[in-house]
Amino acid sequence: MLEKRIFKPDRMTWKERWHGILSSEKIDRIPMHHFVLGFCAKNVGYPIVTMYKDPEKSFQAQLQTLEQYGFDGGPNYGYASFGGWEFGGEIKFPVGDFEQAPSHTKFPVQTKEDAERLLLPNIFKAGSVPNAMAFSKLQEKYGTPISLVIGGNFTIAGNICPVETLCRWTLREPELAHKLLRLATDFSLLLVRYWVDTFGAERVIPNIWEPLSSNDVISPTQFKKFALPYLNETGEKMLAMGIKHIFYHICGEQNLNLPYWAQLRMGNPGLVSVGNQVDLSTAINYFGDNNIIIGNIEPSLIQIGTPQQVYEECKKSIEKAKYSPRGFMLMSGCELPPMTPSYNVYIMRKAIDDFGWYE
Amino acid sequence: MANEQRTLEILKGLRDAVVSMDENTVKELSELALEEGVDAYDAVTEGLAKAMDRVGELYSNKEYFVPEILLASDALYAGLAILQPHIRIRTGAEKKSLLLGVVEGDVHDIGKNLVKIMFEAAGWDVHDLGVDVKLPIFGEEQARQKADVVGISALMTTSMLAIPRAIELVKAHDPDVAILVGGAPLNRELATRYGADGYAKCAGEVVKEAQAMLERVKNRKKML
Repeated sequence: MLEKRIFKPDRMTWKERWHGILSSEKIDRIPMHHFVLGFCAKNVGYPIVTMYKDPEKSFQAQLQTLEQYGFDGGPNYGYASFGGWEFGGEIKFPVGDFEQAPSHTKFPVQTKEDAERLLLPNIFKAGSVPNAMAFSKLQEKYGTPISLVIGGNFTIAGNICPVETLCRWTLREPELAHKLLRLATDFSLLLVRYWVDTFGAERVIPNIWEPLSSNDVISPTQFKKFALPYLNETGEKMLAMGIKHIFYHICGEQNLNLPYWAQLRMGNPGLVSVGNQVDLSTAINYFGDNNIIIGNIEPSLIQIGTPQQVYEECKKSIEKAKYSPRGFMLMSGCELPPMTPSYNVYIMRKAIDDFGWYE
Repeated sequence: MANEQRTLEILKGLRDAVVSMDENTVKELSELALEEGVDAYDAVTEGLAKAMDRVGELYSNKEYFVPEILLASDALYAGLAILQPHIRIRTGAEKKSLLLGVVEGDVHDIGKNLVKIMFEAAGWDVHDLGVDVKLPIFGEEQARQKADVVGISALMTTSMLAIPRAIELVKAHDPDVAILVGGAPLNRELATRYGADGYAKCAGEVVKEAQAMLERVKNRKKML
């Protein structure tokens, strides 16, 4: 791996490559998509909490890190526990040595009565929304894609109340589960409307992160009943607002849910990111005709694997997905771990240089 | 006093009711077992606990998921609340114990809670340290509890980095204890690399893995 020290020169800027793949035009090479938050903080010398509390520093840290490693796409703001704070609960920002992202300290809904009383929050002031809006204004200023990270409907509901409670309600009190899912859906749509009104539908790419509906938690039958209808409604209404592309991060073990995910319209093209649990060939079969496939190097491998192991995994992924009908972007299967050795990130880019060119 | 056939009927009823998550029937059958003189210990071990073995299998086979395990465990605990006060202490097999926690920096407790359920169903004493457990606590608590097994988990790729340190601290207090780890970013190879004695991929197989691990550790000690 050490013979060659200079990458082949790109024939496109990252913005040209990004717009090219979204427009289904020929691009020079596979893009290296980013899912990097805490890693950027470490990279530029900030504590991880900066990424979530300080939009300006978060944006700059990402911009610098994306430039340094040659990532494609722009900075992003979001976290997987989205929904709890926004509906009136409390979260803890990551400050400890082993903390990665904000986590719940108090759920807004603990009991049936809490659920029955729960109302939509003021979307302009809810939890992280002001920070997310400040961040998106920086995206607009710098001409990077304007993303809005929201949870999948089931994930938001599972952040409003403890996921164990939501799980029990899916079987014992389904009307309460549906009540939370309804609120999660209405909240998501109001947020997307807020972003569309502020930046224009064509520029906004909603990011739907949906770990809690994985088969690590619920069955495909429960997915069909409690996740799919709300995901479908949210997606269709976003597309009706004029959104062109939706980014779905289908996180975790989702193999049994894939036939249902494949029923969703995700834009033209949509963007589908899968974890290492879903084989890329499987993802292409389900989503490749209409969507860009993104993924799926195992994050813990990138963090603790040898450069050679990371290189081999990237090579395999590129070979599997390079010619996916609507394109492929190499990415970690979930957030790049903040403590990842920087050489392993370089190696991902190197694998693209060695195997990812379109001639 | 219930005859053997009647006892078997009640035990089967308890098993079926737990597996089908029918808490009310578990309560009724637990009361009935006591009324009809079924040994409370048998009702727990041959009824409730056996049912959770089946629930664990269904979970491992992806026929049951988290909601089903939780409701089956609700039924289990409802039965235990009725039957346990009537169990006469038995000599013989010693009750095993587990010290359990999620490492510092990680508040994800659903996997840990499922593991707790499966061990309690199998008759183990579980000392649950909760989530976001400061690493020295694992060692200090083990020094106090002297549990047979210490279970440590992490869900995040960042918090998983705390596991080898937690193992080191436990072993410093109790070098012979068997340590079992689990959580989404881990695998068996990594568990071994971190110094753990065992790894469980999911809650459905965790008790079996712990028992196999204890055997391995016992044999290892014999060889030394």
